[in-house]
Amino acid sequence: MKKLAILALAGLVLFAAGVSYAAAPGLNNQTDCNSNHQKCREYTLNLDAPWYKVMVLLTACDFAFGKCMLGL
Amino acid sequence: MDMTGRAAAAAAGFALAVVIAAGAGPTGGQTVDRRKAVEIAVPANESDEAVLGRPVALALDADRLYIADALDCAVKMFSKDGRFLGSFGRKGRGPGELAFPSGVAAAGAEIIVADKLNFRIQVFDGQGKARGGFKVPFAPDRVFSLGAQKLLVTGNPTGRRRDEPLLHVYEAGGRPLWEGLEARTSSDPILDTFRNMILVCPGESGDFHVIFRSGERTILHFSGSGALTGRTAVDERHAFKILDMPSPRGVMRLAGFCWAAALDRGLFYLSAPEDVDGRDLGPGRTVSVIDGQGRLRSVVDLPCAVHRFLVADGRLFAIDDEGGLRIFEVGR
Repeated sequence: MKKLAILALAGLVLFAAGVSYAAAPGLNNQTDCNSNHQKCREYTLNLDAPWYKVMVLLTACDFAFGKCMLGL
Repeated sequence: MDMTGRAAAAAAGFALAVVIAAGAGPTGGQTVDRRKAVEIAVPANESDEAVLGRPVALALDADRLYIADALDCAVKMFSKDGRFLGSFGRKGRGPGELAFPSGVAAAGAEIIVADKLNFRIQVFDGQGKARGGFKVPFAPDRVFSLGAQKLLVTGNPTGRRRDEPLLHVYEAGGRPLWEGLEARTSSDPILDTFRNMILVCPGESGDFHVIFRSGERTILHFSGSGALTGRTAVDERHAFKILDMPSPRGVMRLAGFCWAAALDRGLFYLSAPEDVDGRDLGPGRTVSVIDGQGRLRSVVDLPCAVHRFLVADGRLFAIDDEGGLRIFEVGR
């Protein structure tokens, strides 16, 4: 019985977290994130910059994409 | 260096002129001519409009040079001696407006522009008036005319899908005819981005050539219908430049092969990447002239590093490190 209550409580917490996360104002639309990520990559590639710099910028694009998807 | 200074330097270069330093590096039992390019002074273009913001692609027709300026969202037109003639396009989404134009091609009397962030190809007439175009399902990068009302459009893979094609051939009206050359994918999407960087040189009979910027010492030849018809190994004297880059996924090794490329009357002009501060690879100032069999015919030294360039009738039109237009006689 105790185990069942813990499981139910955990489920409730996870459900509440899921609902509030999805409704968080900072959370972005996946389409916007994809679009921004693509723009970031295209701008970087068209810089025609030295390759290490390009690698760093592409990594920054990927981080920004991750942040966007998480709504951070 | 301002335009006047550059012109003076060019004139001085002209006076020193045509240095043919034969015997520069006999390799493989053959001596390769090495020569210095002779710079042609570009006239000082006073207009602000003539200043290039971020020039990303060049195209030539019989008497004009077109430069796609991604920052100014415009195509700027110059005479073949570098005199500014005018520009067309402005930022926007409507007809004749551009969002990050990244490619330009001259097709007869029309100018074709890869309107990257509007996901479309736009067609302009010689006066810069919009004459239509068509949408594409990807962000077009470069565009080339293959003659016979056909356009080759390249795209950078997003890395989110497998098997994204790098090349797309369309009818001038926008009907897709062919797509191919699948992007290489692995567990490292950033490495894949470098491995999928290509350069395209249109041929003279509707065909085209593809050169990978790193990892392969080959030139791929495609017919206008997209069939891979040949693979030419390039002379080993046009050597790989190795770059080991620390990355979040460990050391990434790139074999830099070619920074930019052009084809003129059967000869390929490949610029070798160059060390930057001993820890990076950037645009080079050495151009290898390679014949159709992949043999190194000569090496041309430029006075500055160049990014994009094209070659026509022995004249090389290039964008330098500062985003300026430079013109050189490179001979044949």
